[in-house]
Amino acid sequence: MKARTLAPILTVVVGALLVVVALGPVYWMMAASLKTDNQIFAIPPVWLFHPTFEHYRHVLADLGMASALAHSAFVGIATTALAIVLGVPAGYAIARFRFRGRRDVWFWFISNYMMIPVILVIPYFLIARNLHLINSPLMLILAYQTFAVPLVVWLTADQFGAIPKALDEAAKIDGAGELGIFFRIMVPLAVPGIAVAAILSLIFSWNELLYAMILTPSDETRTAPVTALSFLGGYSIPWGDLMAAGSLIVLPVIVFAVLVSRYLVRGLTLGAVK
Amino acid sequence: MLAEQQRAQPALSLPVSKRERRQRLTPWLFLFPGIGVLLAVGIYPVIYALWASVHKVDLVNLAAGTPFDGAQNYFSAFLNSLFTGAVARSLLFLAISLPLELALGMLIALYLHGTVLPRVRSVVRVVLVIPMAMTPVVVGLIGSLVFNNQFGLVNYLIGFGHMQSVDWLGNSQLAYLTTLALQVWQWTPFVTLILVASLATVPPEIEEALRLETKSWLKRLRYVQLPFLLPGITAALIFQTAYIVKLFDMVYTLTGGGPGVSTELVSIYIERNAFRAFDIGTAAAQSVILLVITIVLSNLYIRFFYVEAEA
Amino acid sequence: MKCFHPRGARRIAAAAATAAMLFGVAAAQPTPGAAAGWSLADAAAPYKGTTINVVILDRPSYVAEKALIPQFEKTTGITVKTTTYPYESALKAETLNFVSNSNQYDGILADLIWTGTFANSKWVVPLSTFTSNPKLADPALDLKDFFPVWLDAFKWDNVQYGLPFDSYSGLLYYNKCLLKKAGFSSPPTTWAELRDKYGPKLTNKSAGTYAYALQSLRGETQTADSFSRFLWDFGGSWYDPKTYAPQLASPGAVKGMEFRASLAPIMPPGIVSDDHAQVVQLMAQGKVAMITEWSSFYTTLNDPATSKVRDCLAVAKEPAGPAAADPAFGGFAYMVSSQSPQAKQDATYLFIQWLASKAVAPQLINKGAVVARKGADTDPALMKKYPYLAPMVAQWAHSNYDWRPRIPQYPQMSEVVANYGSQIQQGSLGIKPGLDKINDEIKGILTSGGYIK
Repeated sequence: MKARTLAPILTVVVGALLVVVALGPVYWMMAASLKTDNQIFAIPPVWLFHPTFEHYRHVLADLGMASALAHSAFVGIATTALAIVLGVPAGYAIARFRFRGRRDVWFWFISNYMMIPVILVIPYFLIARNLHLINSPLMLILAYQTFAVPLVVWLTADQFGAIPKALDEAAKIDGAGELGIFFRIMVPLAVPGIAVAAILSLIFSWNELLYAMILTPSDETRTAPVTALSFLGGYSIPWGDLMAAGSLIVLPVIVFAVLVSRYLVRGLTLGAVK
Repeated sequence: MLAEQQRAQPALSLPVSKRERRQRLTPWLFLFPGIGVLLAVGIYPVIYALWASVHKVDLVNLAAGTPFDGAQNYFSAFLNSLFTGAVARSLLFLAISLPLELALGMLIALYLHGTVLPRVRSVVRVVLVIPMAMTPVVVGLIGSLVFNNQFGLVNYLIGFGHMQSVDWLGNSQLAYLTTLALQVWQWTPFVTLILVASLATVPPEIEEALRLETKSWLKRLRYVQLPFLLPGITAALIFQTAYIVKLFDMVYTLTGGGPGVSTELVSIYIERNAFRAFDIGTAAAQSVILLVITIVLSNLYIRFFYVEAEA
Repeated sequence: MKCFHPRGARRIAAAAATAAMLFGVAAAQPTPGAAAGWSLADAAAPYKGTTINVVILDRPSYVAEKALIPQFEKTTGITVKTTTYPYESALKAETLNFVSNSNQYDGILADLIWTGTFANSKWVVPLSTFTSNPKLADPALDLKDFFPVWLDAFKWDNVQYGLPFDSYSGLLYYNKCLLKKAGFSSPPTTWAELRDKYGPKLTNKSAGTYAYALQSLRGETQTADSFSRFLWDFGGSWYDPKTYAPQLASPGAVKGMEFRASLAPIMPPGIVSDDHAQVVQLMAQGKVAMITEWSSFYTTLNDPATSKVRDCLAVAKEPAGPAAADPAFGGFAYMVSSQSPQAKQDATYLFIQWLASKAVAPQLINKGAVVARKGADTDPALMKKYPYLAPMVAQWAHSNYDWRPRIPQYPQMSEVVANYGSQIQQGSLGIKPGLDKINDEIKGILTSGGYIK
């Protein structure tokens, strides 16, 4: 009897604790972004305050955050579009054809995901320099393919694999060509998997720092994380502005992450757990 | 499979050999764009890095040329205590954070796997996704806010309302611990969600049967659930290993590797060597050494995937 | 006529020279006198509408620079855009810009320790290219008015590359109220005094106040402000100027680092993670009685908006060591990027020449900048108003422009010192073993750079 009343209470208490620990720091950043600098430094901390949007106005209008967010969005979308074009057919081939070296190709795609950015960034820099592509988003978009394509290949291979065999066999009997089957039958059925892969690829490229720092360093081409970091290093740290910039960066990520929460783990492990 | 498909089809007008060749070619046509681009962006830079690793490449003195340097860069990488120190720091980081994440993740996973108030649990489950999706740069910023020596929330909370003056980011050991704490905060949810997914693979009838047999959840965990959890645990282990070798953004923002070298993990060190000392040759050699480590790890990862793919 | 009255002719010439000097000084105004037929407005006419991009830092001198830029823009019709970098990423940003030929900046800000790097790679244009062009060269530039050490600092292979701007000397800033309370009417003149006499009386750990703070963040701050400061004064040096044999593990260097370590009890904890900003802040809040900082921070410490100790602020020469009084020497110059198109190079030179001119110098000082102009820095009225000028000028008379080496390998060498230097300071590496490591690695760098045969 006792256990039965205790269990729901415990469940709620533990749940609340987990939510506080997981979201507390994020909340604290967002609260700080709405405080004046004096309120941020206040001891004891200020819990109730009139929000000010001054920091947001300042970082967006004066500190280049608006264009930086636009750059990040452009790079993210372009990266994702290219990764979909390159990765979806590959995922399809791996899932629906039986050919020699199939598994090796699949592993090779996945192993690219394990590549360490700091290994690649030096050559990328030197290549970009020779091709005059420093400060061009193109180099960044290409560099991001190293993690975006494996992600798309894995998730879509998984999705294509789940489509019943009978479907394309029927289509073949109807005389459809390979391309016709792919575009008219398979891709529409795999849209959910493709969408998840796209969102994950967006999140990953949105979050990236190292490549962006080295390949697009100028004021005009910086991405959002690089711009936020450029606020550090002056004579004083503009905490309010930093937290506003941080909030602007993570808000879209949080929305997308919650949308694909069920698939996020799978995207991150490339499906170690089915 | 291939043969079956062919047999199932009625004979077409094409001669068999030609059709077979086309059949064999088709998957490669689909694979070609992806493989081509990944080769270009993935393999070519590695070759470039290999080249640079055996040459003297000083970015601020390119006028002096880039003479062949033999294994000199590799020797100096191994003899350089800053590099070996950074590798050791990364490995220690792994050795501490991984068991912590696994233990905490396991407890939370068992909580989420419970049956009471499923709605509360599913809310918690969605909330846990947020830390791991967060931009690592922003995680570093949050860390420097809440762990601030003068006005940080953490110092206020540990003093129960009286400001404590603990210099989290100024003291070597504490800065290392703070970095670990943020890593654990961000990635425990990930381990948790993997383990929850693994727990879901335990057939319910087996779990139910055992629930009737013993009340001890520890026994249930050990004898029934653990075998189902092992693949997930292995995946988490390998993924986090790779992640910590890569770990750059969060530490760069939080401490920049400091104070001194106390939080200088291997990626931070190599970036510094390449873009502050501009010693591209040595940095490339260090990268290649890191790459070898990664390949060994990836092979572990891939070997594990073999098992999964067969299952 | 002149031929017959040589004495009269000399008098006329002298008068003309005086007039020219007066006019030169008068060039402060946007419409300078046409003593030599040169005016900034005329010189800039071909470049009207040009936009140049100039690198600046987040430090007081650049606030002054930015405040004066509209004056230049109004006179010349040249637009000056600025890009701000934190000091620690400025070299990286400029180097990546040069190496990638991305040509983002026309006006290159060069720390004196980057002179060799930039000049050796031919990334910057020798100044003579412009000074030999009568259309560009202001006859009133008067190079002799710069402190010689500052011109030398931006020479490489005897070629001048930059005009000094934002020029520092390491100074002892002290809180005279705190010193007085502890019974001292004057600041320490030697390091030993600072530690043994002043240290204990000015440190009160339970109140959170300390006698001294030394900025030691790993990076150039560790190398210059923390390591080099205790290297020279105690008898060490970077290397033998003739053989390039490094002297970083010499008995003098060991003594210096031992002394630095012995300062810990009178300094706040966590100094290894403090940069200029934190230390200046400690001083400004009255938590530390003395700091040794660059002359540029006088402005921050004297500003009521950023400093609580304005009325107690006093400045003196850096304490001397047992072996030498070799105060910290550092600062910047503007150089012209060789990758910029010709028109932008010319426009940039006009800007640099104007910014470093005799006439602008007093305005810069009044707006909080530090400059290396003799005339302005020794102007009695300004000296009275800005007490940092006297000790700074006195120290520059005997400053060593190779206080840190200016060779192209310096960025690598600085990284080595910063790495091990901060580990030595943290105590995770012993002094002698640490210095041996520094010495060995610097030796390797100098050997592969071809300095040591």
